[in-house]
Amino acid sequence: MDTLLEVKDLKTKFKTEDGTLYAVDGISFSLQKGRVLGIVGESGCGKSVTSLSIMRLVQKPGEIESGEVLFRGKNLLKVSESAMREMRGRDIAMIFQEPMTSLNPVFTIGDQIDEAISTHRPKLSRAEVKARTIEMLQKVNIPAPEKRYGEYPHQLSGGMRQRVMIAMAMSCDPELLIADEPTTALDVTIQAQILDLIRKLQKETSSSVILITHDLGVVAEMCHDVIVMYAGKIIEYGTVEDIFYRPRHPYTRGLLDSIPHFESGQRKKALTTIPGLVPNMLHLPKGCRFADRCSRVQSDCRQQYPSLQRLRGSHKVACFHPIEDVRKDVSISSEGGSQ
Amino acid sequence: MSEMLLEVQDLVKSFPIYGGLLQKEVAAVKAVQGVSFSVRKGETLGLVGESGCGKSTLGRCLIRLLDPTSGKIIYKGRDITTVAGEELRELRKSLQIIFQDPYASLNPRMTVGAILEEPLVIHNLYPNLKDRTDRVRHLMELVGLRPEAYSRYPHEFSGGQRQRIGIARSLAVNPELIVCDEPVSALDVSIQAQVINLLKDLQQKLGLTYIFIAHDLKVVEHVSDRVAVMYLGKIVELAEADELYVNPMHPYTKALLSAIPVPDPKAKEKRIILTGDVPSPINPPRGCHFHPRCPMMIEECKAAYPDRKMAPGRHEVCCIRA
Ligand SMILES: Nc1ncnc2c1ncn2[C@@H]1O[C@H](COP(=O)(O)OP(=O)(O)OP(=O)(O)O)[C@@H](O)[C@H]1O
Ligand SMILES: Nc1ncnc2c1ncn2[C@@H]1O[C@H](COP(=O)(O)OP(=O)(O)OP(=O)(O)O)[C@@H](O)[C@H]1O
Ligand SMILES: [Mg+2]
Ligand SMILES: [Mg+2]
Repeated sequence: MDTLLEVKDLKTKFKTEDGTLYAVDGISFSLQKGRVLGIVGESGCGKSVTSLSIMRLVQKPGEIESGEVLFRGKNLLKVSESAMREMRGRDIAMIFQEPMTSLNPVFTIGDQIDEAISTHRPKLSRAEVKARTIEMLQKVNIPAPEKRYGEYPHQLSGGMRQRVMIAMAMSCDPELLIADEPTTALDVTIQAQILDLIRKLQKETSSSVILITHDLGVVAEMCHDVIVMYAGKIIEYGTVEDIFYRPRHPYTRGLLDSIPHFESGQRKKALTTIPGLVPNMLHLPKGCRFADRCSRVQSDCRQQYPSLQRLRGSHKVACFHPIEDVRKDVSISSEGGSQ
Repeated sequence: MSEMLLEVQDLVKSFPIYGGLLQKEVAAVKAVQGVSFSVRKGETLGLVGESGCGKSTLGRCLIRLLDPTSGKIIYKGRDITTVAGEELRELRKSLQIIFQDPYASLNPRMTVGAILEEPLVIHNLYPNLKDRTDRVRHLMELVGLRPEAYSRYPHEFSGGQRQRIGIARSLAVNPELIVCDEPVSALDVSIQAQVINLLKDLQQKLGLTYIFIAHDLKVVEHVSDRVAVMYLGKIVELAEADELYVNPMHPYTKALLSAIPVPDPKAKEKRIILTGDVPSPINPPRGCHFHPRCPMMIEECKAAYPDRKMAPGRHEVCCIRA
């Protein structure tokens, strides 16, 4: 398979008044062409900082300390800022949770998409640029695109703004799209529209996508591969089937089991919970960061950090005492080969 | 069956919009447009629907944080739609609310102890300081807050713990009915599960009645006995939770259920993808409010708002195609 992105031992730190914290603490993974990779984990585990680090958009007091981000073999952490600016939008595009913060309120949406296109395609005439913008608005199902072209962000609904963001992000056919919680602020019926759109565009252009979300349902539906993060580390990586049917890390298993299910009668039962809280990133324990909340914890877990070990195929887990059994309450029976 | 606690009849709430030189009322946001249902003691009624459909407005009207424009609210056989003054203050003891954003709803300059004591002081409960402190400690224990939390400030707590403080505060005055307005929406799944279990546990122990508002249908299904689905100010369907999820009748409920991403990679259900956005409650569509987005729409749907139909098993639905 064709590797598009390879992240090696990436560390991003924040200097705060109370000390230095590693929001991303030595993570490594790779992404193949045409695949959709999900990153899940609880609030503050480092999902957004990971994506900002890849784009080299980490703001002070944050700083990438070390590691490599290889995009088609080229280390993005070593290229010049101007080269990086050229690649953003053209090769790698990003969409955020709240489109209002990334759309400029004083320009029309048409102007903003035009600008994104002409920056990377200076040879196109104004008319050609506008035609491309309208085409993109059409692609993302904005009704009456010629009329919307001249409207301002505040005149659009949240769902439409997110679609404009997607149109802008996809306007230069990027090879990699990073979507950070693209539907979290939206209603489920609008979320379904947006996810459908991302999936369609991804297939059409066979681009790769990194999809950050805390909704495991969205992951199951959209992703080929999944990274589970906890306190700045990757604690499990695998195909979507590995993660949902054969999770090995007690944290992954806990996350999956704490989602309410639809079975009738089942709602009378208490939900499975993970006791306790995520650790303070400034005062991390020496060993496994999940140890204090883990039902399988043993003394070795507190001695040293378990590194990410390969299991079967691409499946990896960072745990000294991984779970062996498969999850029973999901449709294992319907599981065929890999998709 | 237990006694009827709350009955809502044709409740309407509009927010006027003023404009023009004379600041006259030029239009109104019709947030709740004629809603009727009842809740029995000890029951949980779930309220779901998309952003802006009127869930919070309805919830606030029920406990009289907002004054309804018209309609009736009957609590324990008594019409409370317009009670005021001392009577309303007395009523507030029985009717409480838990908010979505635990942080915004807690005074940052008060310790947890003071936050929990405040409602007791306002309502003149436990006038003796020692009794009051005991009551606060008991509340903290009830929601699983450590005793040390007593003298700490809200910012020192995580989202889930702050929500526990909010829950303890609403319980302080021994309410009967609590409107839970998106109490877990801001929380991570593992913490969400802790808070849901706590709410259910407290319901059992204290015989509480909940109106549970959320946009996450999985959560609502899990906690509710019955569920009402709202669209643009109206309840379009209301049924027992199991029944609603197994046998949805309104096309909107069907679309809503099918839009939920299932945490199982092989569950490739056929998705009903609605086109367009929710229309504005200032100018709701004529006829059935859902008709512009409805995949089953026929001409008659544009004519008049559909009557409420009763299907077997106390299943109510407002749709001529159902
Ligand atoms: N500007 C900053 N200053 C200090 N710490 C920061 C800053 N930005 C992020 N962090 C820390 O970095 C860690 C990771 O943050 P990040 O935004 O990546 O989390 P996330 O996984 O995206 O969470 P969420 O689901 O809430 O978006 C957090 O613990 C956070 O406290
Ligand atoms: N004080 C107010 N003045 C004017 N309009 C209001 C007011 N409060 C709510 N509205 C409007 O009433 C409608 C219903 O709002 P409400 O907050 O009840 O919706 P909701 O279902 O709780 O939505 P969400 O899921 O976003 O919380 C919305 O169109 C809202 O803009
Ligand atoms: Mg984030
Ligand atoms: Mg609300």
